[in-house]
Parts: sequence; C-alpha cells; structure tokens
Amino acid sequence: MNIASINIPESATAAQYPPIPEPNMLTEFFWEGIANHQLLILRCGSCGTYIHYPRPICPTCLSMDDLAPAQVSGRGTIYSHTTTVQPFHPYYVDKVPYNLIVVALEEDENIRITSNLIDFPNDDIRIGMPVEVTFQEVAPGLTLPLFKLA
Amino acid sequence: MAKRDRVAAIGVGYSTTGRRTGLNRRQLVAQAAKAAMADCGISPDQIDGVVLHAGVAGAEPPGLDWIDALDVAQMLGITPITFYNSDQGGPAYFHAAISAIAAIQSGQAHTVLTVRVINQRLSSAEERDSVQGPMRISGDSQFTMPFGSVTPIQTIAALPAQRHMERYGTTEEQFGAHVIAQRANAVLNDEAIMRDPLTMDDYLNSRYVSKPVRLLDCDYPVDSASAVIYTTEERSRDFAKKPVFVEAAAASATDILPAGFEKLLDLNMNSPYHAAKTLWSRTDLKPSDVDCAQLYDGFTIIVFQWLEALGFCGEGEAGSFVESGATRLDGSLPVNTDGGACNVGRRHGANFCIESIRQLRGNESGARQVKDAEVAVWANATGPFSGAVLMTAD
Repeated sequence: MNIASINIPESATAAQYPPIPEPNMLTEFFWEGIANHQLLILRCGSCGTYIHYPRPICPTCLSMDDLAPAQVSGRGTIYSHTTTVQPFHPYYVDKVPYNLIVVALEEDENIRITSNLIDFPNDDIRIGMPVEVTFQEVAPGLTLPLFKLA
Repeated sequence: MAKRDRVAAIGVGYSTTGRRTGLNRRQLVAQAAKAAMADCGISPDQIDGVVLHAGVAGAEPPGLDWIDALDVAQMLGITPITFYNSDQGGPAYFHAAISAIAAIQSGQAHTVLTVRVINQRLSSAEERDSVQGPMRISGDSQFTMPFGSVTPIQTIAALPAQRHMERYGTTEEQFGAHVIAQRANAVLNDEAIMRDPLTMDDYLNSRYVSKPVRLLDCDYPVDSASAVIYTTEERSRDFAKKPVFVEAAAASATDILPAGFEKLLDLNMNSPYHAAKTLWSRTDLKPSDVDCAQLYDGFTIIVFQWLEALGFCGEGEAGSFVESGATRLDGSLPVNTDGGACNVGRRHGANFCIESIRQLRGNESGARQVKDAEVAVWANATGPFSGAVLMTAD
C-alpha cells in the first residue's frame, strides 16, 4: 500500500522542523485533510461515534465496515493548557516559551485535539475559551492544524 | 480473602542509588536483590518466583545492557522457579508487585522476589542533542508531538495541574506546601539525596519546566534498583523481620492511550479513582484507619490526585488539605515519610512500598517513624493506569 509521506526538503534540519507526522494507513486521511485545510475525524456510520485517534473499530458499537472520515467544524473550547519553558527538542530552542493546548471539539467534547493557540498571549490563556482551527504551514511542506480564538 | 491466606512482604533492599553511578542494570539488580534477601535472611532455594521491571521510562542512555527475570534468577542462584515475569509496561513498581501478589494468591509461587531497576534517563538537553535531523513520528504521537507535546512533564503533570487550578482553585503555594512537607521528611532520612530544608520562597523561585510545573515538582532521576520479597502468610513468620501484610491490592486501567495523557476523558479523575474504589471494596478498613500514605510523586499533582481518589479529602480539596498541614509528619495523615521520589530519587514507585513496609515494621524509620503505625497505603502512577496497595502490621 502506498501511503503519502509529508515531503520536506532534503536539507532540512531538526531545528527547522518539529517532529513530523508519519502517516500510516489508519491516519493518512487526517493528514491529507490537513494539507487540504480540512479537519477530518473518523466517524462511525452505524452509531455516529467520533473516533480519535483513528482505530479500525468503533469502541461504542464495534462496527468495522462503516467507519469514514467526517469533516468537523473545527470549533471547540480549551480543555487545558500549559506554557512550556524548557525545550526538549531542537525545534523549540528558539521558540520557548510556547503554549500547548488541548481542545475539546464542539461535535463531541470527548474528542480532544492537541495543538497550539496562535496570536494570543500565553499568560492569558484560560480553560473554556472558545477556539477555532486554522491551518498553517509551520515549515516548508508541513501544514499543521493550529487554533485561534473564536 | 481469609486472613490466613494473606500475602506478606518480608524483605526489602536498595542498591547503590545516585546520579550516573556507572553501574549497569545487572549490577544494580544484584545489589538490591542481595540486600532484600539479607534483610529477611532468606536463601535462594526458598524463593520460587522472580519478577523484574527494568525499563527506563524515558529517553534511555546508551550502553545499558538488557536483562529479564530469568537472568535475575540465574544470577542469584534462584533455581528452579515456577513463576517469572519481565513485563515492562504498566504502572511503575506496582506492576511488579501485583504480579507477585497475584502469583502467590493463585498458588503459582509461594515466595517471589520483585525488583524494579531504573537507570537515570537522559536530561532534556541530552535528549534534545540526541535528535539528529528531522524526526518522523508514527503511531498516536503523530497527533501530539508535532505541536510540541514532547515530554510527560507537559501531559502527565502540567495539563492536569493547570486544570486542577482553574477548576478547583488550587494554588501554586498549595503545590509548594506539599513539596516543602515531603522535603522536611527527607531531612530526617539519611538515605535521601535531597536533604536541605525548603521554604516557600525556594519553591516559588525555582524555575518552571512547563507552567505551572516547576523543577521541584518533578521526581529526581537516578540509577537505582529496589527489591521486595513476598511470601505466603503461612511462611511469613519464619524469617528475620516482622512480616507486613497485603490487606488489599487493586490495579486499574481506564483510558488506554499510548500517546501521552492528553486524551484522558478527565485529566484528574481517572484510573486512581477506579483503583481506590476497588481497593476499599476489598477490605473492611476505611481511609480513616490509614496511619500513613506513600503516594507516587513523579509530579506533585499526582499526590493531589491520589489524596482525593483514596478519599482522604474530597474532589478538588487536596490543595487545602495539604495546606492545612494534614500531610506533614505531625499531621493526621503523614504522606511520603521517606521524602518521596523527589528526594530519595526516582525509584519508580518502589520506595513507596518499601517505606510502607518499614513504617509498619515499627522500628526502622528512625526520626520519621509514624508512631504506632498499623495501616499504610501506597500508590503508583496515575492517568490511564495505576494501582494501590493497603498494608497492615502483624
């Protein structure tokens, strides 16, 4: 099976790129969606359950044949957040302090998306703030779903 | 469980413990196992089971050899054996303990040596410098690491702690009160590594790693091995030390999520609540019967989660409970009387078991001895998996 990798320049260094997603057959749709500026979450056609991270089976009704990506609104609220001060990866050396947020999606608050909040002061981030997805090419060839205040 | 069928802990031992000791896994294991066997005067032919938990639980330094439970048995002359387990998953040392306890309860073995060996993980700078070229991330971490979720300090500690603060009004000073209280216990423990008393200013002036988590909220990575020997109640009084009994033990796994803790349905009320509920259902004892609690302090927030889960205070009340002084050595529920892993070093849960056993023996904890301690609870890990054990004196 041919799975589309995220292509970056051969000369790329660890300082230029955050850890890069390596899609597999279960997650390829998600990253194709991100490249097309769509937030897609796997959903069970039998019972409507959203399934994230992608799995081959619905944890609610055990359906396996009826799972398909569904576009979601990209809106949600901040479930928790932190501002990281110490860099554990070369990419973050010149980016600390940076925020990390967990977003509870509007469609199902138990679907959580880890991301970053952009264009907003780290110290003013609070749980419950409404946010919406935005797509940014953070480094050549790598687009990520980030969030801004809604 | 009928009282005569209880499992007993009879021997405990530590290896040399410290920063980059130069000792490999095999040396550390041999030291701790020998110490535990000497502690209770047991000989290899009296042991018929070995459990080893050997992972680093973090970025592993190069050059460590790998060993499993069979290596340990062979090295110590413990042969033949009827039970062995080298599983590296699960909630820290508890994972080894519950395996031994279950083996003895089921009759697969009568006497089991458990060892948790853990080498000092790479520091953040070493981990960063070890990254050569762009990193490709497969598995569930592809949904978290590209956004900078790269260390458990963020996911196990900072995200839950921040939510605890905003949801319940917990303050950084309340986290600090715990850090200061358990350091005061370490001052009394000559096996502890961090032994200088701390003030609130010291705590509040220590640097953040990922807000609101400070360096002083994190356990202290070391090379160490810890060993505990369990046996049947029937055999337990034939050895050198007073046995300590497993009154009840409970494991829990709730959300099974390999990619960090971000997706836990509730960042604070998760598997410890389930483990605690199971624990109390397996005993007639109650939280008010507990004389001391040894609660996993990989990060400060985990202690708060266990205080609430075990019912020592209500949901969201751990901050004020700790701030009241209740968890100090002279309080109503002394917590982490050895100083916790922040101060004795990261023995990955085993120190909480060993300190419980020593407290219940009644004469081994010196100035930090809890007077007339008869019941102790210890707990390991949090989030998707955890476990707790209630122990009683003979």
